[in-house]
Amino acid sequence: MSAFDLLMGVLLIASALAAVTLKNAVHAGLALVANFLSLAVVYFALEAQFLGWIQIIVYAGAVMVLFLFVIMLLFDAKADVGLDRLPWMRPLAAALAAAFFLALAYAFSGVGPVNPLADVKLGGGLPKALGGLLYGNWLYTVLLVAALLFAATVAAVSLVQPQIRKARVKPQVLERDRELEEVGK
Amino acid sequence: MIYLIAALKGLVLILLLLFTFAYLTWGMRRGLARFQIRLGPNRVGPLGLLQPIADAVKAIFKEDISVANADKFVYWLAPLISFTFALAAFAIIPLGPKGSIFGIDPWVADLNVGILYLFAAAELATYGIFLSGWASGSKYSLLGGLRSAAGLVGYELALGVALLGPVLMVGSLNLRDIVDWQAQHGWLALWQLPVFIVYFIAALAEMGRTPFDFVEAEQELVGGFSTEYNSMKFVSFYMAELLHWITASALIPTLFMAGWHAPFGLPEIPILWLFIKWLVFIFIVMWIWASWFRTRYDVLIRFAWGVLFPVALAWFLLTAYWVASRGGAA
Repeated sequence: MSAFDLLMGVLLIASALAAVTLKNAVHAGLALVANFLSLAVVYFALEAQFLGWIQIIVYAGAVMVLFLFVIMLLFDAKADVGLDRLPWMRPLAAALAAAFFLALAYAFSGVGPVNPLADVKLGGGLPKALGGLLYGNWLYTVLLVAALLFAATVAAVSLVQPQIRKARVKPQVLERDRELEEVGK
Repeated sequence: MIYLIAALKGLVLILLLLFTFAYLTWGMRRGLARFQIRLGPNRVGPLGLLQPIADAVKAIFKEDISVANADKFVYWLAPLISFTFALAAFAIIPLGPKGSIFGIDPWVADLNVGILYLFAAAELATYGIFLSGWASGSKYSLLGGLRSAAGLVGYELALGVALLGPVLMVGSLNLRDIVDWQAQHGWLALWQLPVFIVYFIAALAEMGRTPFDFVEAEQELVGGFSTEYNSMKFVSFYMAELLHWITASALIPTLFMAGWHAPFGLPEIPILWLFIKWLVFIFIVMWIWASWFRTRYDVLIRFAWGVLFPVALAWFLLTAYWVASRGGAA
């Protein structure tokens, strides 16, 4: 492991941790941008130039600009930690997370020793070379990441669900109900 | 050794850009004054030539105030981001042929994916503007920042799609290849006239110049994103803004007008021809600035999505069909 590997590893993990722990949503978004940029640097080190630039343009650029735009527009930039809606979910989530990490360890064990960054050539990030790696050696890891993304989608939907389920009552309707009630008396 | 030379070239380029920025402020104020039949700065030194130095001294010694309501970290970070990425884009513009300046290549970086680098730098530079809008803790700043973010999604798309046609014709993302192709086959501005116009309009929006300077529209938003900034922090925003103008004025000739190559078969002299083309575009932008009105913010968004983007896309498909029918890029 070279000093570069170590530095980028620390940067990636630290920025990812910051992205999920920071209370201020805009700061968390910025940490995510930092994470994407470090990932792009790793791609450059792997001589996958094209992938690196696309990572910056699409993720650090377009996606995160939209993301931060929405945060700034809608939220008061404070993470909504609020009340825990499903308290019985916590131990279950911890168990699932542990199982996930075990599965991840198993997926990595099948790949064998991870090559130093400089030795893995992604062939300029060409789709063919990339596809061979992703759906060959790294298949289990890819599947696990897919499961993680799916879980995140479900979590996002369940977080906004209560507001959706409660049908919004128009103020006019409320007003009329109150008037009817008064007349009834 | 390679890295040392690249670093030195980068340093020289940064110093050159900063010098250009300083004298562009003078040229801009004198030029705008001419358009408006007044004199402009003419008191400090002959023709007011020492004005930029006086301004710099004033800005440096001004008290650095930071706003109580601001988000301190992001408030400091935003001008740095703006300034850094505004400087970065110029690095890949070739000023002449290989080894033409005392045996040294007149560019800082020669990237195979030069166009992608340009977009990355342009997009990251926007962060500075809209983070400053949020971090200032002021409604006017926030509105300016939100406008820049929403605008970015509109015009950056047109900007990107407009370049697909030229890239397809040349068959390379490298700026040097694009310049050399034009020396052989003629200007891309003629081959690709519709997207040249689209690119120029979108570039005006990216520079934040009139008619699209709604990010800092004084009449509506005080000073837009930079309302709450003063002294050197304000100057770095100002620098970033003018650097975008400087870079875009060199980039448009590079992409569409054969860059450093001489027009009409005149003798080839490195740097000189690009400098002349650069001056022309600096002047055109200033001309528009002095004589045009500011469009409304929603008009640009609708214009970018409804006109610029479809035109660029249609032209791209046309070019793709033409290139394919000829059996590949020339």
